Amino acid sequence: MIRPRTTLLVAVLFLAIATIYYALSQDAGGTTMLVALAIGMGLLSYTLALGSPKG
Amino acid sequence: MATTVLTPSTARARSGLYDWLTTTDHKKIGILYLASSFLFFLVGGILALLVRAELAQPGLQYMGESAYNQFFTMHASVMLFLFVIPMLAGFGNYVVPLMIGAPDMAFPRINALSFWLLPLAGVIMMLGFVLGGAAAEGWTSYSPLANSKYSPGVGTDLWIVGLILIGTSSILGGINFLVTIFKMRAPGMTMFRLPILVWTVLVTSVLVVLGTPVLTSALIMLFIDRNYGGAFFDPASGGSAVLWQNVFWFYSHPAVYIMILPAMGIVSEIIPVFSRKPLFGYKAFVFATAAIGALGFSVWAHHMFTTGSVYLPFFSFMTFLIAVPTGVKMFNWIATMWKGSIQFSSAMLFVLGFLTMFLIGGINGAFSASVPVDFAIHDTYWIVAHIHYVLFGGSVFAVFGGLFYWFPKMFGVKLNEGLGKLQFVIMFIGFNLTFFPMHELGVAGMPRRIADYSPMAGWNDLNLVATIGSILVGVSVLPFLWNVFVSLRSGERAGDDPWEGNTLEWATTSPPPPYNFDRLPEIRSERPVFDQRHGLPGPAAGH
Amino acid sequence: MTASADVLVPADRGETLEELVHIAEEHAKGGISNPVLGMILFIASEVMFFAGLFAAYFSLRANAPVWPPAGNAEFDLRAHIALPAVLTLMLILSSVTCQIGIWAIRRGDRKGLMRAFTITIVLGILFLAGQLYDYSQLGFGVNDGVFGSTFYTLTGFHGAHVFAGVLMLGVILYRGMAGQFSGRHHDAVEATSLYWHFVDVVWICLFTLLYILN
Repeated sequence: MIRPRTTLLVAVLFLAIATIYYALSQDAGGTTMLVALAIGMGLLSYTLALGSPKG
Repeated sequence: MATTVLTPSTARARSGLYDWLTTTDHKKIGILYLASSFLFFLVGGILALLVRAELAQPGLQYMGESAYNQFFTMHASVMLFLFVIPMLAGFGNYVVPLMIGAPDMAFPRINALSFWLLPLAGVIMMLGFVLGGAAAEGWTSYSPLANSKYSPGVGTDLWIVGLILIGTSSILGGINFLVTIFKMRAPGMTMFRLPILVWTVLVTSVLVVLGTPVLTSALIMLFIDRNYGGAFFDPASGGSAVLWQNVFWFYSHPAVYIMILPAMGIVSEIIPVFSRKPLFGYKAFVFATAAIGALGFSVWAHHMFTTGSVYLPFFSFMTFLIAVPTGVKMFNWIATMWKGSIQFSSAMLFVLGFLTMFLIGGINGAFSASVPVDFAIHDTYWIVAHIHYVLFGGSVFAVFGGLFYWFPKMFGVKLNEGLGKLQFVIMFIGFNLTFFPMHELGVAGMPRRIADYSPMAGWNDLNLVATIGSILVGVSVLPFLWNVFVSLRSGERAGDDPWEGNTLEWATTSPPPPYNFDRLPEIRSERPVFDQRHGLPGPAAGH
Repeated sequence: MTASADVLVPADRGETLEELVHIAEEHAKGGISNPVLGMILFIASEVMFFAGLFAAYFSLRANAPVWPPAGNAEFDLRAHIALPAVLTLMLILSSVTCQIGIWAIRRGDRKGLMRAFTITIVLGILFLAGQLYDYSQLGFGVNDGVFGSTFYTLTGFHGAHVFAGVLMLGVILYRGMAGQFSGRHHDAVEATSLYWHFVDVVWICLFTLLYILN
């Protein structure tokens, strides 16, 4: 099973998308949602990996 | 729960109706989901037939524009939110705990709540028809059309409230699925031994949990604008009409993956069983599913190319990118069937229908992702053709495939194969007659959401063909209803494992006991029942 | 049914009941309990709910020529910051008392939990009352352009979440008075406290954004 810390890469991925998006479009609304998505995805995948029984 | 392995408790005898109304058994709730969704499928279908009847010829024959607007709006809302999404959630509810070897969902009572919110929401949305007109601004409800000036009726407010309730139901259901899948797997059922359907439900649940609340916030802002003088979407007071589209599509684009991923999961379960081969490229499939889920969140503005206020290259590129994992899946399915001994059962026929129709829907979708093409076809019948090829040709065909596949497990009897094939043929022909001409109509410039058109526009013949096709689709549902009726009365007994399946639901009785399993086979691969049947690779001896 | 392990175990090798229960419990070890996991996922979902509202706020604010919009002197909330600042301190304090309650029940001290949660509920109710009073003192309404709409929607829906949190804390208090919860079994308490902390964090963001960076 993947280590919980590794799942935080999902958050990094969405932060990267948010950064690229903001650099290209300067759209505040879309960027807010993508950044929040990074937080949500990170929280979700980290706790799921942490909470899952081994095996 | 380990003790129930040895001492299964007998179900208390209660009156049947009371039992169904108060049940927390995931299998009964799953069947309730399927039944209520099918009811809404019939309602949405009748609305669609009314829309097509009006469009058969130019001029207004059967209804006024206002009624027409209500019918197409409610057709879309019912089909998307009360049929496709709950229908797939119903399959997930019934099958996922069985597939991972769990006794039930993680939160059985929340599961019951998730279901019962749906009929309530459906009734609230429909109330508009008797309270002076249902929502009539399209299921996308764009401002300023949806504001209190241009849509003054109470129908839109009821629509908003209904949709918020459905969203709440989805979120609770998604959380339930995630906790179930991560916490309740039987020992040995590792993540990379999960059946593909479970993986697709997992990714779908992530999309639901993180996407749906954004729609809720958008709906709340719309409600405040309409009822309390808010200014979110009103440019005259500093608001922004495009803001609605941004927040709306931030949910509603991932929503199309919510509506297709579990259908892909159903297809991935059925194809290996009826091709007598293992699924080709299991891990590629898992990663493709995850990639669709991740990319699905960064393509929302391809619905807004023509607004002039989104960055076109970013969204166009991301949209093209999302075709790659979808293509991976398509080739995996084909490679699974390659050189297999394919059995053309009704379930498999519907799945083959899915493959071919979804391919067309995927390809015409890729056309729409191209910005210059989209500028030409935006809001024309091309888009209507695309959405129906992926949602009807995709999801609905997979849903019927799934119904034929799991019906024996749910009720212990098989559906009639002859009637199933008859239904498939009528539905497949009717579907293509209805929606293929819409490509032509779109390219010829016919806009969507109009009740009337000029007889000189050259759209008469194709519209008539589409209407005839829609009647065929309507007729094709009749053999299915008859099939369910006669099969439940006197269908062929199915036995525990009628299709020689691969996954754990076939290791228990049909229908399964309330606690699901008397005992589980060893889980050494993603096909534990196949392993057990063939004595591979391990024990299972001594029984 | 063993409460700690809701999993079925493949029973192929003639294990005894004790062995099966042991396997199931070992299997479920090291994870987060179902209610706590469910609550964290719900919080992730709530993050996205507030993201939608915040996105509207940022987007409208970025497009406005001046912020706060001209025409109403009352829009300058920094002149109005005293009461909200006190309310903020109260909410932060309530998070602390909530956590003290958690530490108490982890030691098995139910009395300590009840005492701490009672204070938390009182602070929550005071916050809500203070916010309602604050609303009555403001010189603009929800229909005063984008400023009024975003302000009342953001703070109002946060208030609704505080209200829900107070109800949840109340249920915990009621269950505690009925003699439930112990050092080993208090998942619902942990889940409720996570929700309360989340509501607190959202308010700190709102306070910073609406009052300090206005």
